[in-house]
Amino acid sequence: MAPIPSKSSTQRNLGGGARQAVSADRISSDNVLGPSVRVRGRLTGDGDLRVEGQVEGDVQVSGALVVDGRGSITGGTHASSVDIEGRVQGDVTADGAVAIKRGAHVQGNITGSEISLDEGASFAGRIDASFEMPEGLEDVSAAPVAVRGRR
Amino acid sequence: MATTVIGQGMTIEGEVSSDEEIIVAGVVRGKLQVDGALTIEAGGVVEADVGATSVAVSGSITGNVTATERVDLLAGGRLVGDVKAARVTIADGAVFKGNVDMDA
Repeated sequence: MAPIPSKSSTQRNLGGGARQAVSADRISSDNVLGPSVRVRGRLTGDGDLRVEGQVEGDVQVSGALVVDGRGSITGGTHASSVDIEGRVQGDVTADGAVAIKRGAHVQGNITGSEISLDEGASFAGRIDASFEMPEGLEDVSAAPVAVRGRR
Repeated sequence: MATTVIGQGMTIEGEVSSDEEIIVAGVVRGKLQVDGALTIEAGGVVEADVGATSVAVSGSITGNVTATERVDLLAGGRLVGDVKAARVTIADGAVFKGNVDMDA
């Protein structure tokens, strides 16, 4: 996701001008919850979402969900793909890939077509990856893998 | 740089609080508290009591609005609720229903 340009100029110029500058940057299509934001409740919607703040509640987006290193979600999440660098406590479901990055803390069950767990991430829960295993390993793949502890 | 954007198609039901600017182009229902500027873009819908430093409305707010500095209801904006702020402007083409309290 592209970095959000600084909005300091528009902050001092609220009114019609500010709105034009916002649409010119086309940032309204991307959803960002900044580091000082706290949401208590349900978050649903279309498009991508970047969480740099704290969410207490369920999150459901049609696009990619990124939990920044400063971000945390306490609740279930559902998205097309999920990248976690921060803290997530709750079940994570993705239609596509789930990536648990270095420094992330995740507690909950993870479902996705692809799941990656980086070194330096901490994870407690169950991984249910619905990809097809290579031949000869199908029997093993039938049972989801339960993982606990730090990698 | 950390602007918070609740984009078109995004809905938050619950309480939102922030120490920085928030731009709403989607839907917020519940409560919205911003220690900074709040912008409701055209198409943005807020059904909540709102508190902020300044509020600029091109979309729609249903709820009471309290700002420590100012509230600007811009053309095309719609506000149903009571407004409390030292400075209030209502542009030509805006819709407003409610009371205004400009006591400092």
